[in-house]
Amino acid sequence: MVVAGIGLRAPHLAEIERTRPATAFLELHAENYLGGSPALEKIERLRRDYVLSVHAVGLSLGSADGMDEAHLGRIAALVERLEPAYVSEHLAWSVTGGRYFNDLLPLPYTEEALDVVATNVQRLQDTLRRPIAVENPSCYLAFTHSTLSEPDFLDAMARRTGCGLLLDVNNVAVTAHNLRLDPAAWLSGLRPEAIVQYHLAGHAVNDADGQPILIDDHGSRVNDAVWGLFAETLRRFGSRPTLLEWDTDIPDLAVLLDEAARADAVIADVAREADDDVRAA
Amino acid sequence: MTFALRNLQAAFAAHIMEDNSERLADAVVGDSIAAIARLRVHRHHVFHSLATALASTFATVRTLVGEDFFRTMARAYVARALPAQPVLTEYGMDFPAFVAAYAPAQGLPYLTDIARLDWALNLAFQAPRGAVLGVADLQVIPVEQLPAQRLVLAPGHALVCSPYPIDRIWAAAQPGAGAEALDLESDPAQLLVVPRMDDAAFIAVEAGEAAFLAALADGETLETAAGRGLGADAGFDLSASFARFLSLGLFVALHQESDAEKI
Repeated sequence: MVVAGIGLRAPHLAEIERTRPATAFLELHAENYLGGSPALEKIERLRRDYVLSVHAVGLSLGSADGMDEAHLGRIAALVERLEPAYVSEHLAWSVTGGRYFNDLLPLPYTEEALDVVATNVQRLQDTLRRPIAVENPSCYLAFTHSTLSEPDFLDAMARRTGCGLLLDVNNVAVTAHNLRLDPAAWLSGLRPEAIVQYHLAGHAVNDADGQPILIDDHGSRVNDAVWGLFAETLRRFGSRPTLLEWDTDIPDLAVLLDEAARADAVIADVAREADDDVRAA
Repeated sequence: MTFALRNLQAAFAAHIMEDNSERLADAVVGDSIAAIARLRVHRHHVFHSLATALASTFATVRTLVGEDFFRTMARAYVARALPAQPVLTEYGMDFPAFVAAYAPAQGLPYLTDIARLDWALNLAFQAPRGAVLGVADLQVIPVEQLPAQRLVLAPGHALVCSPYPIDRIWAAAQPGAGAEALDLESDPAQLLVVPRMDDAAFIAVEAGEAAFLAALADGETLETAAGRGLGADAGFDLSASFARFLSLGLFVALHQESDAEKI
């Protein structure tokens, strides 16, 4: 069964229109389609044949200033127009003092930040009149005054707002490496019923102070460690719609579809393991 | 050190823009990778990703000056003017003005106009396409009322004029273009940028046509605009040029001076 989808990127749009590849869903970045360009009409036509996911990157759910109402309105208009199956954003902030930093900046995991994020998520869900999914970030640093673990923060946010969690498995691997955490222990902090979707992507290894630091650049194939963590995630939580993302050094569409096929194969393998376990028992 | 979230975010922003790192670094866990090095990951990403966005929007400028020069110039712009909102194709409106004042670029006097052309093409590419006025829409207007009409240009259309042959410079900078000797003093350019079905393009217009279109874009009546066209070029042929612009789908609405009702 095909449950893996791919991120829809501008260089692939014409080929997808022409060849209509089999994929479970297409995810588009909301901020690329807010101007009303002809590309949006193409997406509307694809909507007849594909399940869509709208993934926003700029709503800044963690902003103490609250969300930019104008941007929220544009996102809401896009969601209304496309009626996607999924809408998602990130646990991060990118706006302060009216300036947009184009980065998913880290939050301290405190009760105060939880109040801010929960208020913004609720505002977004009220505006869209639907639940959204919020993605765990890739972390390069932690704040000394955090009082909650990241999974506990995500879980509390989901309980308070009713939002789902978009579990980015690559981000778990990146965060766990960079912050010296155990990815299995990190996963054990989440409830399966809160998780609505998985993301997979490649990451880069850079140097910081002579130490390797993993950078979530979505610029390569998913690496073996992340495939392993994905299998572990599936054993723990079960299958979900799964998306392959690729944003820098974008390859041929065939490479992205091949990665999605591999995700489907891993999902099928883990499902078989589970069946075998049931029979053995 | 503990920050209220709003103060933490302001300090983080200041760190990224000004690198006043000490105070914020105290709030970040450091180990074998120091807090400062961890913060640098975000600092690098903000500047790198925004410079990359500018390189995409101002692709011809980037080709003309090369990657290294462009990145240095773009980072200087980012440091002065972060986006005010998250749509990156709408970021860089005043980048051409920044290029005009950027001292290291002074040896390339046409660069600002190329930046304006890149920006206009970007806007045209992003513009929504919709219904435009055709000949039939104009035939319902009594002839004696035509001079008082004001025409509204379709979204994405723009005039870019330069004392330099920026159309030929632009073409020479496109992938696959052959080497061409350009005389920078030779041909001023008046270009009309137009959205097309799947992309955007520009066409050269005469000086009279440029004056005519500039007047219409300013909200002047057809009569006044025609006068401007003739003032710029005694050979301006109103009916031929107007028919050409109409066939290009340049106008979305017209309304009379006396009433704002659009058809």
